[in-house]
Amino acid sequence: MRNLFAMARRIISQIVRDKRTLALLIIAPLLILTLVWYIFGAKTSEPNLAIIHYDSSDYMSAFAKNDYKRMTPLQARQALADKKIDAYVDLKNPVKVHLEGSDPQRNGLAMSKIQESMQTMQTITVTALKDELTDVIKAQQKDMQAQQQMIAQMAKAMQIYAPGALAQITQNAPKAEQPDSPHKQEKVTLDVSYLHANDDLNTFDAFGPAMVGIFVFLFIFMIGGVSFLRERTTGTLDRLMASPMKNYQIIWGYMIGFGLFVIVQSFLLTCYIVYVLQIYNVGHLLDVLIIVFILSFSALSLSILLSTFASNELQMFQFIPLVIVPQVFLSGLFPIDTLPGWVQAIGNLMPIHYSTEALRNIMIRGSGFSGWWLDGLILILFSAVFITINILVIRRQRPLTS
Amino acid sequence: MSFPVKGEHLHKKFKNQIVLSDVSLTLQEGEIYGLIGPSGAGKTTLVRILLGLEKADSGKIELFEQRPTLNAFRSLGYMAQSDALYSELSAYQNLSFFASIQGLHGKAKKSRILEVAKAVELDKDLKKSVAQFSGGMKRRLSLAAALIHQPRLYLLDEPTVGLDPLIRKKLWTLFHYLKEKGATIIVTTHVMDEVAQCSRVGLLSEGKIIAEGAPKALMQRYHVSSVEDIFIAVEKEGAKK
Repeated sequence: MRNLFAMARRIISQIVRDKRTLALLIIAPLLILTLVWYIFGAKTSEPNLAIIHYDSSDYMSAFAKNDYKRMTPLQARQALADKKIDAYVDLKNPVKVHLEGSDPQRNGLAMSKIQESMQTMQTITVTALKDELTDVIKAQQKDMQAQQQMIAQMAKAMQIYAPGALAQITQNAPKAEQPDSPHKQEKVTLDVSYLHANDDLNTFDAFGPAMVGIFVFLFIFMIGGVSFLRERTTGTLDRLMASPMKNYQIIWGYMIGFGLFVIVQSFLLTCYIVYVLQIYNVGHLLDVLIIVFILSFSALSLSILLSTFASNELQMFQFIPLVIVPQVFLSGLFPIDTLPGWVQAIGNLMPIHYSTEALRNIMIRGSGFSGWWLDGLILILFSAVFITINILVIRRQRPLTS
Repeated sequence: MSFPVKGEHLHKKFKNQIVLSDVSLTLQEGEIYGLIGPSGAGKTTLVRILLGLEKADSGKIELFEQRPTLNAFRSLGYMAQSDALYSELSAYQNLSFFASIQGLHGKAKKSRILEVAKAVELDKDLKKSVAQFSGGMKRRLSLAAALIHQPRLYLLDEPTVGLDPLIRKKLWTLFHYLKEKGATIIVTTHVMDEVAQCSRVGLLSEGKIIAEGAPKALMQRYHVSSVEDIFIAVEKEGAKK
């Protein structure tokens, strides 16, 4: 026990005395998260749109002046080429949309705006049709009334001249139908309700859980890995192995030393995004902290394991594209349901995948323990496997005493 | 007389290169054994195998006449070729850590740290961060870390490399003092004038111990006036055969 504490104390004083590492561990993730927050949390700007051939069109009322600039075809083409507008709508029949097209996000914005206008346009068409129809019906009604009057007059005449024939006619005569009153115009709107969260949820809120995982993992991985690697390259690990320390004490000393530090780091990070950046969070802060903490443990144990295969810092950093980058893409930032099975299988081997799932459950869906225990357990299993391998590796390097 | 270190018929290969071939070595209690030889001769590998940091392909090792256990490390001080210090920490923190993992705590630890720091003349620099130390100071601190738990057996891999003659002389005085107190020391070195101060030396060349004995006796046997010449004499002898 005392050996463990000695290790832990040493690691903490090492980090505390190394101000750069301290800053990198604590301030860098906050800085980057703030940046990401601005990028993804920013309100999306309105698309710049224009219409042409609007004079002869009936649909002009659907394209409000505030949203659509009036342009001549030439102007519009020029503006599109200069990226001053994202799209223009040609109101000649049939209606055509011309998109700038280089930025899918802007395309999407422009299209959804235009589609909105098209809906208004359809209502206009429908109303116009309805009006026409009503006119037709009214005209027919008039005709029918006239006919009925004629028939009534004829009936009167017949009553006078041929009462027997009339009885037959009235039997066979179809009852005049009352024309339906025109439908009340109904405005079609969707009533949207959210099972989780609300329409204030922006991209950062959705990305946040994944981001927290990625940054915690990345920084712990780098610093933990390099510091254990240094232990190897400077020879201090040899000194530890030539001491009465047990194998598990060496590894667990590391885990505890960094662990205490990770508690501070994950606490600051979580408080920062929840209270300063005000990421959407309906769950308990403690649940978030537990997941972040468990994740850091798996990052630390994995980095110690990989540092075995590196002989210098550069080689350690070569693991980042291999270990971190795929995790970023498969973490749940992007939907992976449609990916081929083997890619999904790789995704299932990645610790950040589980932390994202757990953090989403906690922060957005507001689930308690029941929402994250499985993901948390898997993360702990990851760490357990890595730690066991680490201890075995150390044991292999101390052949005499094992 | 007991034998703190005993290695028998040690063989070691790295890939295709033979590093040690059939090396046997027995240390007697209270002697300074000098392991000398050109670089690449396998000195460091031999020391690491004796320590159990490297596995020999075949052969047997005994520490304190037992199969090595973790407990044996309590009585063993190791100083590697690299300084093996935590450069972020102060000298005191370094010594304190190495003392703790050897089971020293509290006041005993503190007084022991001051003692060894004095022995290597670093007592005034204990608060300094190791990153600010000169090469020689690091070397001495590294030695101090190996001394901290008063082991009975020292394995010192090139302890005096890069030190100025004055400090080197002081360290050898320290080694003799430790020896007087009953410690056994195995020391690898390049420096030939240090060899004369060893009780016995082993000449390691291309993975074999080619000659072993007290420095003076060896010089007489090969009719040479310096230890360096022994290497040449032995090689000549080998050529004749």
